[in-house]
Amino acid sequence: MVTTTSQAVRFRRGITLPILLLVVWEVSNRTGIVDPRFLPSLEEVVRAAKRELIDNDLLGDLSFSLMRNIAGFLIGGVVGIGFATVLALSRIADRLVMPTFNALKQISLLAWIPLISVWFGFGEQAKIVFVALAAFIPIVLNTYDGMRAAPDDLIEVGRALKFNGRQRALRIYLPSAMPSIATGVHLGLIYSWLATVGAEYFLAVGPGIGGLVIAGRERFDMAMVMVGVIILGLVGFTLNRLAYSLESYLLRWRPKQNA
Amino acid sequence: MKLTSILRLAAGIAFAGLLTISARAEDPLVIHVGYAAIGVDNRPFSEGTSAATARAGEFLEKEFANDPNVKIEWTFFKGAGPAVNEGFANDQLDFAYQGDLPSLIGRATGLKTKYLLASGARKPLYLAVAKDSGIQKIEDLKGRKIALQRGTNGHLAAIKILEAHGLKERDVQVVNLDSAATVAALTSKDIDAAFGDTQLINLAAKGSADVIYTTKGDDPRFGRNAGIIGRQAFIDAHPEITQRVVDAFVKAAQWSSDEPNRAALFELWHKSGTPVPILEEYFSKDTLAYRNSPLIDDLLTSQYAEQAVKSKEFELVRRDIDLQGWFEPKYLNSALQRLGLQKFWQPYGADGKPAAS
Amino acid sequence: MAAISETSGHAGPRFSWPSRKRIGIGLTAFILPVALLVLWWVASDRGWLAEQILPSPVFVYETARDMIASGEILYHTAVSLRRVVIGFAIGAALGLSLGVAMGLSERVEDYVKPLFLAFAQIPTLGWIPLLMLLVGIDETLKIIVIAKGALVPMALNTFTGIRNVSPRYLEVGHALRFSRWQRLRLIVLPGAVPSIFTGIRYGLTHSWTSLVGVELLASSEGLGYLLVWGRQMFWLDTVIVAMIAIGLVGFIMDKSLNNTETLIQRWKKGEA
Repeated sequence: MVTTTSQAVRFRRGITLPILLLVVWEVSNRTGIVDPRFLPSLEEVVRAAKRELIDNDLLGDLSFSLMRNIAGFLIGGVVGIGFATVLALSRIADRLVMPTFNALKQISLLAWIPLISVWFGFGEQAKIVFVALAAFIPIVLNTYDGMRAAPDDLIEVGRALKFNGRQRALRIYLPSAMPSIATGVHLGLIYSWLATVGAEYFLAVGPGIGGLVIAGRERFDMAMVMVGVIILGLVGFTLNRLAYSLESYLLRWRPKQNA
Repeated sequence: MKLTSILRLAAGIAFAGLLTISARAEDPLVIHVGYAAIGVDNRPFSEGTSAATARAGEFLEKEFANDPNVKIEWTFFKGAGPAVNEGFANDQLDFAYQGDLPSLIGRATGLKTKYLLASGARKPLYLAVAKDSGIQKIEDLKGRKIALQRGTNGHLAAIKILEAHGLKERDVQVVNLDSAATVAALTSKDIDAAFGDTQLINLAAKGSADVIYTTKGDDPRFGRNAGIIGRQAFIDAHPEITQRVVDAFVKAAQWSSDEPNRAALFELWHKSGTPVPILEEYFSKDTLAYRNSPLIDDLLTSQYAEQAVKSKEFELVRRDIDLQGWFEPKYLNSALQRLGLQKFWQPYGADGKPAAS
Repeated sequence: MAAISETSGHAGPRFSWPSRKRIGIGLTAFILPVALLVLWWVASDRGWLAEQILPSPVFVYETARDMIASGEILYHTAVSLRRVVIGFAIGAALGLSLGVAMGLSERVEDYVKPLFLAFAQIPTLGWIPLLMLLVGIDETLKIIVIAKGALVPMALNTFTGIRNVSPRYLEVGHALRFSRWQRLRLIVLPGAVPSIFTGIRYGLTHSWTSLVGVELLASSEGLGYLLVWGRQMFWLDTVIVAMIAIGLVGFIMDKSLNNTETLIQRWKKGEA
């Protein structure tokens, strides 16, 4: 049923709506149908971007947000994979900890903000801890599931070869959980970016893109808010791309499955 | 400048990596000073208090200019007084300018702090309403949407004003917004009214809202109080440093109280982004010495005692607040004596009248 | 962006008498929480933990009891749930339609998907300030934000689910000369059900997270507001009670989704 359309046609179709949107935007702005306070002209958005970039250290804000995001993600990811490995490999740890973990993960991420704020204060560490928590949860869940689903015959082989715990973890569980871990890492990246924005909204004021967007709203500067939102989207997009490349890199040794 | 803050961020990351809350082992002593407000567009400055003068005029930095081992670090809180309490709770703040209700809440919750000197006490409060909201007097607020920042001294003051006009907090719809968000919401008419100070005067001056009431000239007991709060563990560990910090704040209060400095003072406070004419309006008909007095006089202590009772009555705190031993005038008195300022400020009695000294 | 499924370790509930071993496992699950609770209690009782860092469990329990008795918790939960139900219903319906449209027609996919994906890259929280400028801080804002939270995963998963329906079934449909509607109803949608369910689960989680976010920013009621309120008044006991309530609601939503999913799958099997 699905016919393959040529790349050129798909591309033309893909950019139709965005262009249409931009045209409608510009026209409605020029003709004054909508209040420019709600919909600034494209030019104004570009001007705001230029202003933030040159006069107001937009790149500094961005690098702060990214550093928080990456630091939190790495901490959450490493701790998460380690934690999940222990749970998956040790029956006792699994039975002791997993139910509690499953209960705690039901608490919506943002609901941790007040406690994290009291425990870790107004410095960077509170924000990073929050981002780490955001990455931690999906990575643990997926790593755990992936390892629990390790094929029995492989585990048998490990037993026959008298692998010790470390060998079992590194040679059997980790490789067979790789696709699942990749999913977890992907989700972790998405959530940690959401959490970076959340941390900048709800924890102490500091440089960052989230703060920029909030400030824009407080100043009724729609152009500035739009610049911030576009950057949030661009970073989200880049992180997503990155996750895909990472996924295919991590899974490069696997035979192509019927995806 | 940028590099150092990025380095600091990197240090913070390394620190968080260890996931420890233990105190950093630092060679130079960093005095962490908090301020329960933030300037326009998040400028790290404020206005209207002697603490704001100390910040903008670098009184603390000058006090320790010859001690390379002592560093001052200021933090301004968008989350105002409640955020300062969080800072005290995890020992990230040593001193802070904080309003009456949050410091009382902190005390009720068991924060070990001391009240060292007054700063920004006797601040008036303003009520601004959105254009075309039809609200002309406080009684009209019934059922309307009002912005407050919960847990700040403005919150308590607002409830007291409502109560004096036969309204309870439940009679209005309270939206929790910080100062900057309040300005935005009032301009866009998302809320009907808001309590606050300079940001509302400014809004009215720009024609985006109307100020319909102020405690200025009304019963002074409707006003708000604030002061410099110190963390007890820090004070006990560094009594000499504490004394010098108090000295610096007293000097700032003195400079802020000298009438010839009025224009220079507003110019200094303008660093917070608040226009000078707004500050002139905010301080009109008040002497600088009245508003910037650091004294822990009978008026102040009785005000705090009353705030404590009221906050219990309004269920803002759920336990009785014991003020016994919280006020620590030792450092203030020593500073006044050494600086020869014993007679500089007029103490007031609990009745709001000048006390015979 | 492919649909991502958050695998969760729930197996379908199948009733059987618990063996002694099962009971043992069940009890082990409680060791850690009980130990933590005891530790928490002792720590706050002995004053190892300052009350302003973590209030004692007794205090939290008393607060919870009072808030349940006064109906406060129920009220805020109801407010939040109402918002989620409306927002989610709108978002899920839109997401489902969009996903079906993109899944069925390559043309629609070509036109809409790039723009949709571009919008989807922006975290839900990022939209809030922009929407605040457009629609203010009232109920509309909350509904839109929650709906947006549900829309993206719903659309993406529906889309993938439909695309992954085996072409063999579609051929059968052709052979049986099914109409377009019949094909959709009898082949495509049932085939996409598991994926759609992933979308629902995901969408609901996102809606719930977005709700807390938007209630934290501007609200005068709801569980998120309860959190802010507790934080501002420095009532950590209230904060913890609100967190528990949020967790419980999340748990109940998750559980009931699981049960529905198993039910539908069993029903599908029974039909086949």
